[in-house]
Amino acid sequence: MSIELLNISKKFGDFVALDNINLKIETGELVALLGLSGSGKTTLLRIIAGLETPDHGEVRFHGEDTADVRVRERKVGFVFQHYALFRHMTVFENIAFGLRVLPRGSRPNEAEISRRVHELLKLVQLDFLHDRYPSQLSGGQRQRVALARTLAVEPKVLLLDEPFGALDAKVRQELRRWLRRLHDEIKITSVFVTHDQEEALELANRIVVMNQGRIEQIGSAEEVYHQPANAFVYNFLGNVNLFHGRIENGKVFIGDTAVEVDKTHAHVHSEDGKAVLYVRPHLLEIVTKSNGKQSFPATVKSINPAGPQVKVELVAAWGDLVQVEIDHERYQELKLAAGANVFLRPKEQKLFVYQI
Amino acid sequence: MASKKNNVLPGFNLTLGFTLAYLGIVVLIPLSTIFLKTFTLTWAEFWHAVMSPRTLAAYRLSFGASLAGALINSVFGFVVAWTLVRYEFPFKKLIDVMVDLPFALPTSVAGITLTAIYAQNGWLGRFLEPHGVKVAFAPLGVVVALTFVGLPFTVRTIQPVLEDLDVEYEEAAATLGAGRLQTFARVIMPALIPALLTGFALAFARALGEYGSVVFISGNMPMRTEVVPLLIMAKLEQFDYAGATAIAVVMLVVSFLLLLGVNILQRWSSQRLAA
Repeated sequence: MSIELLNISKKFGDFVALDNINLKIETGELVALLGLSGSGKTTLLRIIAGLETPDHGEVRFHGEDTADVRVRERKVGFVFQHYALFRHMTVFENIAFGLRVLPRGSRPNEAEISRRVHELLKLVQLDFLHDRYPSQLSGGQRQRVALARTLAVEPKVLLLDEPFGALDAKVRQELRRWLRRLHDEIKITSVFVTHDQEEALELANRIVVMNQGRIEQIGSAEEVYHQPANAFVYNFLGNVNLFHGRIENGKVFIGDTAVEVDKTHAHVHSEDGKAVLYVRPHLLEIVTKSNGKQSFPATVKSINPAGPQVKVELVAAWGDLVQVEIDHERYQELKLAAGANVFLRPKEQKLFVYQI
Repeated sequence: MASKKNNVLPGFNLTLGFTLAYLGIVVLIPLSTIFLKTFTLTWAEFWHAVMSPRTLAAYRLSFGASLAGALINSVFGFVVAWTLVRYEFPFKKLIDVMVDLPFALPTSVAGITLTAIYAQNGWLGRFLEPHGVKVAFAPLGVVVALTFVGLPFTVRTIQPVLEDLDVEYEEAAATLGAGRLQTFARVIMPALIPALLTGFALAFARALGEYGSVVFISGNMPMRTEVVPLLIMAKLEQFDYAGATAIAVVMLVVSFLLLLGVNILQRWSSQRLAA
């Protein structure tokens, strides 16, 4: 089922949670709402579910307005951040809940309920835990039970609020891949909320980047990562170095070095003023000699060689802290040590500059 | 248990010893004197004291009215707790404090006030009496008084559990297609049963022992509106100490068994909720 959000606005007191949101989610898509806490992403998810009513605007399921459709009739599966499993029910009973509360006429008999629940338990690979209580499960298992419980009512839309937020890194990784496979299998229109850009980039067909109640960008993982619509998106999707500089005669200067800027990425007007250059740590190179063009003097502050890349922290000549990631071979070649004076050079010609 | 583990804070033996000594001094020794005094009676005298028609009537009223009061409080205490936890409204804090008044108010004051209100010419009594509803100086008055003194117990036991019961559970039930009644019966009630049982038991126990407020509103007519504590008092006034303690022993044993039963029930139902 497709979901359409038209001019959705919502205020809590004076706080603007959502400001004129427009979004269309196609049938079968897996969409991430990505943003910091307070960006309105959870509110938007709750509005889709009907748990919250917008002050203005419409939520359309399959082209039809849902304003008069109550939560229980929306056929929306909602997975809560803290699972909200019923503590007094076993795993089996939790999953069977949605079937047991069906109106008498459409309620399946006990054998059918049992068959469906066990089918779902197999789907989430937890059949051996069917008689346990939620308190006896690990976080990851609880999350999968919550998902199975939601799927039991065969929802048309699956909404997940920070689905992996409360899990540790390793389990999160596994569940992420598992959810991706599950979505490929059952192809249900899904929307999930996250503040973790990695999670959004890895899992979603499309990412909706939100900030302060507004949508900053909608696009595929590749689009939002490589062609960020603005400074916020660039900044939000991964680590980034900010180089503060200025614009003179349409040219960007960082310190005394002029920077060539790709016109498609530069948000620079002709007027002179201040500018910020955004460069990701792995897109900077460390060299020992300046080639005169586009290289900035800097001093090595500290080095962390643990991990696939060597993380080097430097202080630029104009005082900003700069993070650089280089590979181990390059690190050996350079023979870097704290206190060394080096030069930084952007690897790409496409530099992202934002005028402030 | 605690003694086998290496606890950060030591002192299991010390605290257990203290607990036993304290309970002994405060509860067990005074209560044991009741038994000792009762043993001065012969079996026949004991039987006569605890099974006379007047005593039986007092048991009926005490246990019946306490049970009624505790049940009423379980229902309305739940409503009060729900309102206080779930909604925001003006003077909420004030109302929250008012719930505790029956704790603090001398029960005799409560008894006098209730009697004044429900008496034939009182604020409420004057409207009830013409319809044949007699509250003051009738068994119903005892129920009213016992409901009054028991209210804080049910509210204060249900309230914290309700506060812990996130709205998320209801929302989850709604998204799964449950109606309001289904959500209430299948999701909210089961989570509250241990607290409800505890509140019920406390209100019931409190009502069984209540003396001050009942004295005023019941009229203390033997066979009709005389509660057990009052009967004990009456026996004491007639210097029938052994007779008084005999009745006390019966009350003690029955109350203990009832509370034990509720406790076991409560333990059993909360085990499944253990987080």
